[in-house]
Amino acid sequence: MRLRSSRTFWSGDRRGRLLAAALVTAVIAYVGWKIGESPSQALQFGFNGLSVGAIYALLAMGFTIVYSTVWFFDLYYGASAAIGAYGVFYLRSKDALSGLHSVHNAYVNVLFASVVAGVVAWILYETLYRRLSHRYNREVLLAAGGIVSAAAGCYTLAVLHYTENLNVVLSPAVGCAAALATAWLVFKGLERVVGGAGRRIVVGVAAVMGLAVGAFAALYVVGEPGTRLYLSWVLSCLLAGVVGLALYRGLYAHMRERARSPLVMLVATLGILLAISAAIVLVFGSPARPLPDVFGSQPREIWGGTIKDFNLFTVGVAIVAFLGLLFLLKRTSLGRAIRAIGDDEEVSKVVGINTTVVISIVFFIGAVYAALAGVLSGHDTAIQPRMGLLLLLKGWIASVVGGIGNLYGAAIGGLALGMVEQFGIWDLAGEWRDVISFVLLILFLSFWPRGLLPRR
Amino acid sequence: MSESTGARRDEYALETRGVTKRFGGVTAVDELSISIPRTGMTAIIGPNGSGKSTLINLLSGMLPLDGGAIVVDGVGLRMIRAHEIPGLGITRTFQDVRLFDQISVWDNIMVVLTERRLLPALLQRTLARHRERTRAILESVGMWEKRDSLAMDLSYGQRKLLEMGRALAMDVHTYLFDEPFAGLFPQMLERVKTLLRRMREDGRAIIFVSHNMDLVRELADHLIVLDSGQLLVEGDVEEVLSRPEVIEAYLGV
Amino acid sequence: MKAEAGGRPRPAWDPRRLLSGVRGNLELWANLIILTWAVAFAVWQGTGFAIGLGTVFAIWGILSVSLNLVVGYTGLLSVGHIGFFGIGAYAVAVLTSTQDYELLRTGAVPTYEWPFFAALVVGVGLAGLAALVVGVVFNRFRDDIFVLVSFGFAIIAFNSFLNLRGVTRGAFGIHEVARPQIGPWVFDEEFDFLVLALVCLLLVSLVSWLIVTSSFGRVLTTIREDERTAEVFGYRVTHYKLAVWVISAMMAALAGGLFGSWTRFVDPNSFILLESILLVCIVILGGLASIWGSLLGALAFVLLEEGLRFLPFVPDVHVGQARQMTLGLMLVLLMLFRPQGLLGRYKL
Repeated sequence: MRLRSSRTFWSGDRRGRLLAAALVTAVIAYVGWKIGESPSQALQFGFNGLSVGAIYALLAMGFTIVYSTVWFFDLYYGASAAIGAYGVFYLRSKDALSGLHSVHNAYVNVLFASVVAGVVAWILYETLYRRLSHRYNREVLLAAGGIVSAAAGCYTLAVLHYTENLNVVLSPAVGCAAALATAWLVFKGLERVVGGAGRRIVVGVAAVMGLAVGAFAALYVVGEPGTRLYLSWVLSCLLAGVVGLALYRGLYAHMRERARSPLVMLVATLGILLAISAAIVLVFGSPARPLPDVFGSQPREIWGGTIKDFNLFTVGVAIVAFLGLLFLLKRTSLGRAIRAIGDDEEVSKVVGINTTVVISIVFFIGAVYAALAGVLSGHDTAIQPRMGLLLLLKGWIASVVGGIGNLYGAAIGGLALGMVEQFGIWDLAGEWRDVISFVLLILFLSFWPRGLLPRR
Repeated sequence: MSESTGARRDEYALETRGVTKRFGGVTAVDELSISIPRTGMTAIIGPNGSGKSTLINLLSGMLPLDGGAIVVDGVGLRMIRAHEIPGLGITRTFQDVRLFDQISVWDNIMVVLTERRLLPALLQRTLARHRERTRAILESVGMWEKRDSLAMDLSYGQRKLLEMGRALAMDVHTYLFDEPFAGLFPQMLERVKTLLRRMREDGRAIIFVSHNMDLVRELADHLIVLDSGQLLVEGDVEEVLSRPEVIEAYLGV
Repeated sequence: MKAEAGGRPRPAWDPRRLLSGVRGNLELWANLIILTWAVAFAVWQGTGFAIGLGTVFAIWGILSVSLNLVVGYTGLLSVGHIGFFGIGAYAVAVLTSTQDYELLRTGAVPTYEWPFFAALVVGVGLAGLAALVVGVVFNRFRDDIFVLVSFGFAIIAFNSFLNLRGVTRGAFGIHEVARPQIGPWVFDEEFDFLVLALVCLLLVSLVSWLIVTSSFGRVLTTIREDERTAEVFGYRVTHYKLAVWVISAMMAALAGGLFGSWTRFVDPNSFILLESILLVCIVILGGLASIWGSLLGALAFVLLEEGLRFLPFVPDVHVGQARQMTLGLMLVLLMLFRPQGLLGRYKL
């Protein structure tokens, strides 16, 4: 169901528009006056707004892509952000925080390892077993699958156990991933150039280059302890993404078939959010925890304002994430499929799009974006189990303010929300931040119910 | 809510004067002026997208007018709000049957009989006269046995009948029926036809949209043909249907 | 139930008929289990425990019954109800408190030292006023957007309690909230308070029952089903929604006043968003559009916390989390298999 807003209460459209115009003028006048009063301070607030807004924009993008595909809000993303942040904490606390508040224990590791083994087994069964079962002996297949899953489980156990040497443990995986990715890219690129003629040569070149790059990547990761941080980011975002995907395949897909309204889905995802946040408190305890500083805490000075390197990095990540998603949606066949499902799921199914797979990917991407936002905001301030709910609400606001279902809207909405929050607390005290963002939301919905950039 | 039919001196139940409605760039109803007689049945026909349902929505205040006025009782109205239309003696049904799904059949009828004002409604319990009237309505549409089931559990035909019963319960002068015959079994159809005839004998004004030309011929006294939001022809049924432009544009014979 | 082949149906008290009626009847089972659980607990733990538990139940019961008017009958899924609860609690706390036990002065905070019932009336009125303002703004929102803005209301209310230090004393909270008093009779004993709370619960349930069985209540259900159509039949939908919203908020403020007076200490942490979400869980769990369901849901919620406390593998500090997890998972299960809740009459 799409956004509907009844205009029964305030029937005068024109009056609404006039008020809105007055409001905008007032805001612009206020900001202008503030800038005139103290340009450097205004710049400072602008920087703060930018770095906060980047995080909101990330969340809003995740929200938007999911909402515009399946038309309900997935509140799991709050939990996803918390999972991402706490994943990094788990992987880094032994090492960078010298064991401070570390919660490592063998049971958790074994639990996770068995979950991973189970997931791998399930994926193998779903994807390969049916295709191979009439060609090979069933027992052999099952045994092979079992061995592969057990190996994956053991590997996970090793990763979780030796988190202080994350780079060493993970280097084979990184090497393989780099090799595969390079080989695939080279193969696709060369094939387009050469065509069908020199297929063998193409495969050979791709394999050699892939191996080389893979080996280099693995060696580099082993040699650079600094890569542990990034590896922990990747791992926890992957984890959150996989949970999001599993929730869709295991739960939402069934629920959506019988749900009468999007509210059913909303409430169910709220339940999931509650359960996961409670689980996080159970494991990590409720007080706030630090994440290690990245790039040093010394701020950099630009035109009289200061901004930490990490915040610049956050903005960069948000921009890259935005461009990546834009490319995905506008230029790839997957993006076309996603948009088609958003327009009409039934028709897309009839046309031959594998909707289950495409929607799973969308949920994965959304959860990864939310997790990324959680990680970045965790590094910026601190992590606490409740951060998920608040980040979720901010992302939700940003996506609604920007215009639900519009990617540009999500980016602009996130940025606008960050700016308004930061400029808003210039005169008000900082503790009114959340109030400001919700007041902004309510004003927006009252005057522009469809957001800054409506979907159509 | 009841309107004494003799009290009005006006010749027409409803008139539109240059009514216009635009959706984005599309003009759904374009400067439409029609008159609907005080009594008898008026059929509105026209190809898909000719603005029939939009017209019904405009007449019932569910969409705001972009231009023109609607004349009820000799008073021109530029804006009708949905909750005011019972006061103007109008009620309607919907093309996509809109019942109150998760309440009982009984309550679906009851709710249109009871108090509209807020505070009295808060104090009002069910009254005997409401109960009797509900019973009468449910019996007349043949749903008395189903009174305790939820509206969402009914079959399509039953839903259609119940919606008609709900409109009947309003006891107003002008009834707007959007596609009342669509998708009905012959038995149900007979029942609807009987209902409509009885209403006509009571001296009500009935306006219905339909695609079924046989039924239009059989029931309607007055016919309005719309085409792309404009009035094509208006007048007596037989006369209109024999007009060459109607045959060409709509019947396609 | 099928009659026997002989034609005459069995009498209602026939044990076989009773038995077959019980089997597969979730509503009956929910009633039986929760009530038995409550009685067993009370007997096991003794009266002192039962009195405390009963008061907590009464407060949650008032809250969930009042929220059900909005969520179950009118179909507005509000997550902001805790705000009105907080307004009631703070009104009573601010107006009745004496400054004697204020250890950490946060500046000159006026004290009024009113009697409890006068403060309660003011609190209920204030909540009604706040609900009127909020309702006028929120009236245009529906479905998931309504959920979002109601989240917003909860957050705005919480931040106001926390940051309006001149009135609420911020995070320090307000101590020495007065106990109710009628003439010379002070409700100082826990038992007296329990009676008062239960009487309030009974009143609220009765009023709610009167509302939902009146013509007004029927209109609310039609608004929930189809707002636009209800309008075409002559109802000013916005007014009806506003009215039920205000009534429900006033009931929540009543619960808040009782809560503040019962704990004798009010601080913002009692009114966080999470509590509000849990409240929505109770309402959905107990059953949408069912007053008895809400009462039962509140009972189950209170019992759940105490029940978890006695599980050997749940340490005391984690009871809240365990409860939250149980409720969250239960919400998911309900949405899968029973979207109207245990005793509900309205499927979400």
